[in-house]
Order: sequence, then C-alpha cells, then structure tokens
Amino acid sequence: MSPRQFYERKKESFQLELLTSCLDSARPITVSDVHRPGLALAGFTKIFLAERIQILGETEMLFLETLEERERLKAIDRLFIHDIPCIIVAKGLEFPSYLTERGEKAGVPVFRTPLSTTPFIHRLTEFLEEAFAPRTHIHGSLVDVYGVGLLITGKSGIGKSECALDLVERGHRLVADDLVIVTRRHNELVGEASRHLKDHMEIRGIGIIDIRRMFGIRAITRTKRIAVEVRLREWARDVDYDRLGLEERMTTILGMKVPVVTMPIIPGKNITVLAEVVAMNHLLRIHGLRPAETLNENLIQLMKGNKSTEAEISEAPPPEGGGR
Amino acid sequence: MIERELLVVNKDGIHLRPAERIAQTAGGFASEVSLQNGTCKVNGKSILGILALEAGLGTRVTVVADGPDEQEAVEAIAALFQEGFGEELGKL
Repeated sequence: MSPRQFYERKKESFQLELLTSCLDSARPITVSDVHRPGLALAGFTKIFLAERIQILGETEMLFLETLEERERLKAIDRLFIHDIPCIIVAKGLEFPSYLTERGEKAGVPVFRTPLSTTPFIHRLTEFLEEAFAPRTHIHGSLVDVYGVGLLITGKSGIGKSECALDLVERGHRLVADDLVIVTRRHNELVGEASRHLKDHMEIRGIGIIDIRRMFGIRAITRTKRIAVEVRLREWARDVDYDRLGLEERMTTILGMKVPVVTMPIIPGKNITVLAEVVAMNHLLRIHGLRPAETLNENLIQLMKGNKSTEAEISEAPPPEGGGR
Repeated sequence: MIERELLVVNKDGIHLRPAERIAQTAGGFASEVSLQNGTCKVNGKSILGILALEAGLGTRVTVVADGPDEQEAVEAIAALFQEGFGEELGKL
C-alpha cells in the first residue's frame, strides 16, 4: 500500500491533514506495526524500524522542544537516515517547520491527525492488520446456521447456491454466495462477500436474485467466522465418507485447520436439513458432547459384562451393573 | 446361501470401528449379508445393526450371505474376524 492509497482510504476516518506537497514516497507501507521513533530522535539509530509508519506523539514533540535549535534539526535529520514510508503527527500537535521541509526534500509525506496518539495507533494498527491480512477467494457459499458459519463447497452445479437458498428460506442468514472472500485475522477465518456481489445469488433457471429484498434484512449478515466446511460431492462408491464421526476430519485454509464434512449428494436427499445437523453437531462438540465416543464407550463396557456372563472367561469379575 | 460361524477375538469386541469395517466390507458385495448373535439377527451392511449384536470378546457370530458373490463375501468378513479387525487381541 502506498502512502497515497493509505491517505485516500483513511483521510476521512483518521481526519488526516497532508502537511507536505509530496504524497508519494520511495517506500510503500508493507507492515501493520507502527513505530514511535523517540530513541532515534534522542540519538540511538542502531536499530530503526524504517519500514513502519513513524508516529510522532506528545512525548516526541516535547522532547524536541527541550533541544536547542541545532540539536533539534540534527534529531529530525536522524528520522530521514533510512527510507521511511511516511510520518504522522498525532493529537493535532504543533510541529517544527523543519520536519515538513525535510520530508519534502526526502520525498516522505508527513500527515497530521487530531486523534490522540494511543487510540490513533490502535485504530491504525487495526486498519493495517486488516489490509495486510492473508486473504483468499473460495468458490462456495457461506451461511450462518444457528450461529455456526458453514462454508458450503463443491463442484459447479452441484447445488451450493440451492442449499444456501434453502437455508435462508428456513431462517438462516446468507453471508456470501458463489464467491467467499476469506481473511485470516489472528486465529480466525472470516468470510464475506465481494463488495458488488453481496446480497445477491445466482440460481440456475431463474438468474440473479436479491436476497435482501426478497427475504428481508434478517436473511443476510455481512461477515461470519468460518466454523465448518461442508463439501458437497456426487455420491460415489469409492469415496470414504465418514460414517462414525469418531474423529473430526480437517482441511486447511490459509494455514488454519477447519473441520470438514464431506456430504454425498443423491437425488431426493435433503441437504439443507443435513447442513443444519452439521451446524448443531458442531455446537454440541463445542459443548463437549461427542455422541460417537460416548456410544462406543458404553457399548464396550456393556460387551465386557456380556462376555463374562455368557462365555465364562476366567478374567477379572465384570464391573458392577455392567452385565444384563 | 452360505453360513459360517465366526469368533470375536479382539479385546474390545465389535464396537464402532469394527462395525464400520464389517459394514464397509459387506457393502462392497452384491449379496445380502446378515449377522446373527443368538436371537439377534441384523443386516451386515448397517453399522448400528451390527452394534446391536453386542458381540464382545469370545462371542460366536453367525454370518450368512446370499447372492451372486456370497462365497467371497463370507470369506472377506471371516478374514476381518480372524485378524481381530486389526485391533488388540483379547485373552480367550
């Protein structure tokens, strides 16, 4: 992101004031961290995080004020030893005119914001993290089912949109159809629709429909964390479908593990109800309920009881109440 | 129609994983496959049915296959029982 793009996107919300005539610098903004160059101003330049946006707050400005004119100019010069993307003066502070002169000369834009330094740094970091977050496009639909983000994937024409539409009709909320933009934020995968496609769906045989107008505001939501991928596949004999659910199968999206359920599609099968069951099962798992494991443990105990009574095998006595 | 008596030799008996393997194997054949433990007779292609046999270590289960590939079906299922479904064997 160039400082120019940054300025154009955020000048309103950060109330940025451009103090130099230049808006393009040799170095683009490439990282989400910011830097307060207090130590560099004071003379320590061995480590200087030049790739970051440099923020000057009250501390830095008060420090500069304590210096004599010559020292102050030298201190400001130290900011420009390395190529930096831009400088932002926070809290609407007064600044030495040499700062902008120097910026002008070095081709480094200098901005000012009236926002207080720390809250501004938080908002700026949040914005930059979002802008630099790992991102990918996935062909599929994302629906919020009982609060669980289901990413429905599968080949073209297998019925992803129809499944999503059916879910919306049953009271669930559409996030994106056909194309889901997935962003990794910290340890979450968040999906949303592309800007111009949101609220719209393409249904074969009907065409483009507007979900928000048709079903109302309750039928849509903007973003949703992806909790489970539901993979629709044409039924095939040789595919190894999970029939027990003893362990969760996983897939990887943007380096993060996501549970995946592969669902065989055959005519007459109600995928929508199955998708709801996937969501509810996920909720039960979160609450620590694992039906396959519980059933299995009970069964093994039960069989241990049966075995000793029926076959009379010389082993430990059966657990109490274990037999029938 | 072919019938054969098989012995459960793995320590935990026919729980979920063995049941899945039996159902998967039986499902690969065209023949009807059923399993019987005492009076309990179930479809050999149904996991939950097989679980209902409650066949623990040392139980004798009768497998019955009927159809074009009945011989192969019985052989395949017998092999699963013999190897204890790939699990730890129990003391008989």
